[in-house]
Amino acid sequence: MIEARKITKFFSIVNEDRTAEGLTAVLSVSLKIPDGMIVSILGPSGCGKSTFLEILAGLQAPTEGSVYIDGVQVLEPLPATRREMEEYRRKYQFLSPLANGVFRDRPKHDIAMIFQDYAVFPWMTALQNVIFPLKLRGMPRERREGHAIGFLKKAGLGDSLNKYPSQLSGGMRQRLALARALAVEPKIILMDEPFAAVDTITRERLQDDLLRLWKETGITIVLVTHDTDEALYLSDEIVIFSPHPGSVRNRFAVSAPRPRRRSDSELLSLKGRIESLFKYDIDHESEYSI
Amino acid sequence: MKNFEPGGMRLALRETGYFVKNALSSVFSWDFLTVFVPLLAVWELLPRWGVVPRTLVPPLSTVAVTFWELLTREHLLVHIGHSMGKFFLGLGIAVATAIPIGILMGWNLAIRRRVLPLFQLLAPVPPPAWVPITIILFGIGLPMQTFLIFLGAFYPILFNTYQAVKDTEPRYLASARVFGASELTLILHVYIWNALGAIIMSVKTGVAMGLVMLVIAEMYGGRTGLGYMLVEAKDFFRIPVMVVCMAVLGIIGWFLIEVLKFLELRLSVWKVGR
Repeated sequence: MIEARKITKFFSIVNEDRTAEGLTAVLSVSLKIPDGMIVSILGPSGCGKSTFLEILAGLQAPTEGSVYIDGVQVLEPLPATRREMEEYRRKYQFLSPLANGVFRDRPKHDIAMIFQDYAVFPWMTALQNVIFPLKLRGMPRERREGHAIGFLKKAGLGDSLNKYPSQLSGGMRQRLALARALAVEPKIILMDEPFAAVDTITRERLQDDLLRLWKETGITIVLVTHDTDEALYLSDEIVIFSPHPGSVRNRFAVSAPRPRRRSDSELLSLKGRIESLFKYDIDHESEYSI
Repeated sequence: MKNFEPGGMRLALRETGYFVKNALSSVFSWDFLTVFVPLLAVWELLPRWGVVPRTLVPPLSTVAVTFWELLTREHLLVHIGHSMGKFFLGLGIAVATAIPIGILMGWNLAIRRRVLPLFQLLAPVPPPAWVPITIILFGIGLPMQTFLIFLGAFYPILFNTYQAVKDTEPRYLASARVFGASELTLILHVYIWNALGAIIMSVKTGVAMGLVMLVIAEMYGGRTGLGYMLVEAKDFFRIPVMVVCMAVLGIIGWFLIEVLKFLELRLSVWKVGR
């Protein structure tokens, strides 16, 4: 269970003429994501949804609020007062709060993350890429290779074990990222626009692959996307983000049974509602700008 | 890798073959030879025809004969050996110190803040400016020469390594961190690999600067080596000897750069995609 309590993220930007500006990327977002669900965070680009996901993953500290994964806090919020600031500086002067430790590999939470531009390591072969996180999670050496090959085969990469990512197509690279994330058998997978960089046909195939693998494993998936169709096809719940500042605009439960058809009437009517929501926001944009 | 184990020797031979083919193909390509051969001919003919004074510009054939004489009578190979010994000692120390320091500075902000300004203040001092004080501190001999070569190669390697490590793609770090990578694992499996191309590139610059400092070091204090030969030839006005020394230095530099290029090609095979 992921629980985000009143997450706020504020960036300060220093302009060229040395004036400072503030940007509230995320404002007071609270969200509970139960186990085993697929939840999409849907919104236009620049609405703070990726920032929110990185806060869930512990890659950025929130300015205020906190995230708990199964009751364990992910990252403490940034200091607010001067005294807290001094303490924070002392505590993290050598290692950033993001670090897991200097010498020991130790995942903070049982999560995996997939990015839009793959982020599989180009200097490792497909097999090495999948073995790498297994090693970090402390799987005994003799089991790693078989386990990794199993997941690569599931992702349809059985013939490309020893290829480097540069030798794979965009869709295969994303399947590799998927296999790498699933191979560690996490409870939660966070996805940041995972299928945005591939063509439509490949995207639909990857979505089906994802659903199949989700069904087999029963993990929780948090998916950030700007593609309404993708959100409708995949998720149990859609959380709509609106920009300036990034906040939860609306939430929809998608109750259509799986396997879904992309042209399902329930999905289409929901799509109409979501799109009219976005259109309304664009028409009344001035109300939302600061 | 498994199928190579019985024939390690064969692998080494094959790799050497690739290297020779790679390195020589650029020089002995037909396109380049159409420029290079006429240039050599001009070099041979102009002094011979008296267009330029022959005593000042020795023709190619004279240089070739001098090369042979140096090789057989004046221990050219010994001089080259001495020079290379010092060079690799200095370069080796520079690589062994600059790369780790550069990685540490690129990896950690706290270390960078404490260490980088020191190097930024020291680096602008041109390495030849160190010669006088080095001679006083170390005397004339191997330590002084090694130190000067080290000095020449150190800063380019240090700064390029640091920069490349610092600019590591944050997505790679983020995905490794989410999987639970410790900082040591990040350095060994992400930072170094991501910066590898730039590090090899920086060693190339280091080789060039090291050769500059080699010649300077041997000119100022030495009884052996190519730089020493150059200065000695100047004192006796032996222009062909100077040309031979210059050519040998040039070929050594070219060869080392080719070796590094080959290394780069082999290590970063993932970028090329065979």
